[in-house]
Amino acid sequence: MKYIKKVLGEDLRQYTMVVALVALIIVFNIASGEKMVTSSNFQNLISGNAYVLVLALGMLMVIVIGQIDLSVGSVAGFASMVMAITARQFNLPWYIAILVALAIGMLAGAWQGFFLSRLGIPGFITTLGGMMIFRGGVIWISNSISVPVPSELKWFGAGYLPEWGPAFTGMNNSTLLLGVLAIAVYIIIQLKKYARSGDITGEKEEFWPVAVRIVLVTVVIGYMTWIFGSGRPGTSFPIPGLILVILIILYHLITERTSFGRHVYAVGGNKSAAELSGVNVKRTYFLTMLNMSILAAVAGILFVGRSTAAGPADGTSWEMDAIASVFIGGAAVSGGVGTVIATMVGGLVMAVLNNGLMLMGVGADKTQVIKGFVLLAAVAFDVYNKKNRR
Amino acid sequence: MKAKKIVSMLMTVAVAVSVLTGCGGGRTAEPTSVADTAKTAETEKTDSKPTGNSSESNASEGNSSKGGVVGVALPWLGTQNWAEAEVMFKEQLEAAGYETIIQAADQKVPQQQQQIESMIENGANVIVVGPVDGTQLGSVLEKAKDAGVYVIGYDRLLENTTGVDGIVQFGSVKTGELQAQALLQGLEELKGEAPYNIELFGGGPADPNAPNFFKGAMTVLQPLIDDGTLVVVSGQTEFTQCATADWDNSKAQSRMDAILAGNYSDIEIDGVLSPNDGIARAIITSCENAGQPIPVVSGLDAENESVKWVWSGKQYSTVAKPTNALVAKTVSIIDSLLAGNGMPETDVTANNGVIDVPVYELPPVVVTKDNAKEVFADDPDRMALLTE
Repeated sequence: MKYIKKVLGEDLRQYTMVVALVALIIVFNIASGEKMVTSSNFQNLISGNAYVLVLALGMLMVIVIGQIDLSVGSVAGFASMVMAITARQFNLPWYIAILVALAIGMLAGAWQGFFLSRLGIPGFITTLGGMMIFRGGVIWISNSISVPVPSELKWFGAGYLPEWGPAFTGMNNSTLLLGVLAIAVYIIIQLKKYARSGDITGEKEEFWPVAVRIVLVTVVIGYMTWIFGSGRPGTSFPIPGLILVILIILYHLITERTSFGRHVYAVGGNKSAAELSGVNVKRTYFLTMLNMSILAAVAGILFVGRSTAAGPADGTSWEMDAIASVFIGGAAVSGGVGTVIATMVGGLVMAVLNNGLMLMGVGADKTQVIKGFVLLAAVAFDVYNKKNRR
Repeated sequence: MKAKKIVSMLMTVAVAVSVLTGCGGGRTAEPTSVADTAKTAETEKTDSKPTGNSSESNASEGNSSKGGVVGVALPWLGTQNWAEAEVMFKEQLEAAGYETIIQAADQKVPQQQQQIESMIENGANVIVVGPVDGTQLGSVLEKAKDAGVYVIGYDRLLENTTGVDGIVQFGSVKTGELQAQALLQGLEELKGEAPYNIELFGGGPADPNAPNFFKGAMTVLQPLIDDGTLVVVSGQTEFTQCATADWDNSKAQSRMDAILAGNYSDIEIDGVLSPNDGIARAIITSCENAGQPIPVVSGLDAENESVKWVWSGKQYSTVAKPTNALVAKTVSIIDSLLAGNGMPETDVTANNGVIDVPVYELPPVVVTKDNAKEVFADDPDRMALLTE
């Protein structure tokens, strides 16, 4: 146990969900006759859930500041419908259409941020209004009819990395390159951290935990690289997955390393204390809501790319999936607690559950029931643990 | 010195990665065996003599099971025709000896996309898709095509994708024409001399059939509206004005309430074009609540409740699209595909925005009180409803 702690860090509890995730994958793989851990299924898993995970990134920050955003599904639907109409009816190129979608997301976010931060209307009410406004808007501008999008946009929702280079690697070389790059970056970070470790205390930490960590991560990333890269030729790690990974890194850095990130946690933890210590609470509220709606637009783009058409019902109840991911990831309902990585694990738990149950042919009705129980169990477990710690 | 360490680490990584990839034995195009052989057989068939029928070629594979996995993705089970389809597909496909995966998507597009993907993962050779929204399955169906899976659209067109091999449906424009003709027949029979006051209702715009029903109906009604035989009192004659989002009966009922309150305070309504039975009943209920005489109303699907209403004279007509016939037609196409005979011939094609898709159309049947007993002669469940 002591050795495990040295490798993984003092707080082992944060790995509960990771263990649950791995256990789920293994159980489903056995139960479905080894259909879970295959290249194509993992590709499906990522491209089919990227939009929810993108939403969860923004939702995490909203929940950390102690608010909730019910409008994200509607905003995603609205932004992507505007995008489709821009491209289809006004014949503008696809990249302009994407910019328009992002701009719509930004405007929607500014609108909600304004009501929350300037007028002090609770986020629940503001975004409940937004949910109706933007849902109505989608149906209004589309006349309730789906609008196909240009085929270039398909790349964002269902595309794969290019094939190149030698065939002897036995997999998609773009994916291989990504995997090697990821491992290299991780190693460099770990070694730098190790090199710095004695600077303050004067006592260098042991090297072996670092080495074990590196080997572990190398094996995991290497395995993932192989799983995603060795599918049918023409397939690879999916583009929506790549976009998601970039966003995860970006938001991990924002929440952990920037002053804005620290403000988000400060405001969520104790609003008055944050205000007294000079944090601009209104600005933090505003930016968090703005950011959420931009990410909603991104999620809409990913989904429409996969669907090849924007539909009037797009985004219905996506907010619920995003919120569930955040809470399964261990965020606190009262705000102030939650991390990007844990949220992604929470989202993946939901995704794997959904996917595994479908592979086993379980109907949508029962899947829904099971997901509900998992959400409750995860949060109950979390609350129980926190109580015991005190 | 640090650089040296990094280099050595990178080498370790390279070794680790190559070991991991090496043990996998490289990538292969995962073939779905039966579909592959079926497709090969299909291409071979063009230059070989058409020997034997499908049952003979199946016999070689063993008599207990014909083999083959069939996936059926349905939009939901909330209306009688879809609920029936689920049961009938299960019975008929299993009777034919196929392994069957049936899933309903609860009207959610993402759910349906993932269900279709999981059917591909489960090795389906043919996937039958009753889409939630026929335009939104593009990339998923192309994935099926790439994996060598046949895709058959059931009841609705699959648009905006190359990954579709054929559509089985009731002629939807024809259905609309029949609805309108039944409405006219009823008006002449029950409401005396022209002109008649009527209102128009359409189905859910996300369903590509809905505009076609309406279009078909309007080819019959529009000339009579123009010459004054029919009067649409509310003036709402565009599909977008008449449409009922998601085929939601309660939305149709509120629209009818509003139309009656706004336009029929001192006149009587004679007839209503309704795109399906649920909406027809909502319209009739609305008229009853408003104190109007029951108008002549068309319908579709021959739902049990509406069959009763037609029999009692409350709803003038419905159009039966016997689910059994549609499922049987679909299963016969699946038989042909899995026996290696490819898609059957058809004259009708429909452009789905990308390609021309072969369409297998079945004729719908108008049901009124007069012919109900003949139409449902082979349907004991519905015959039982006609005795009361």
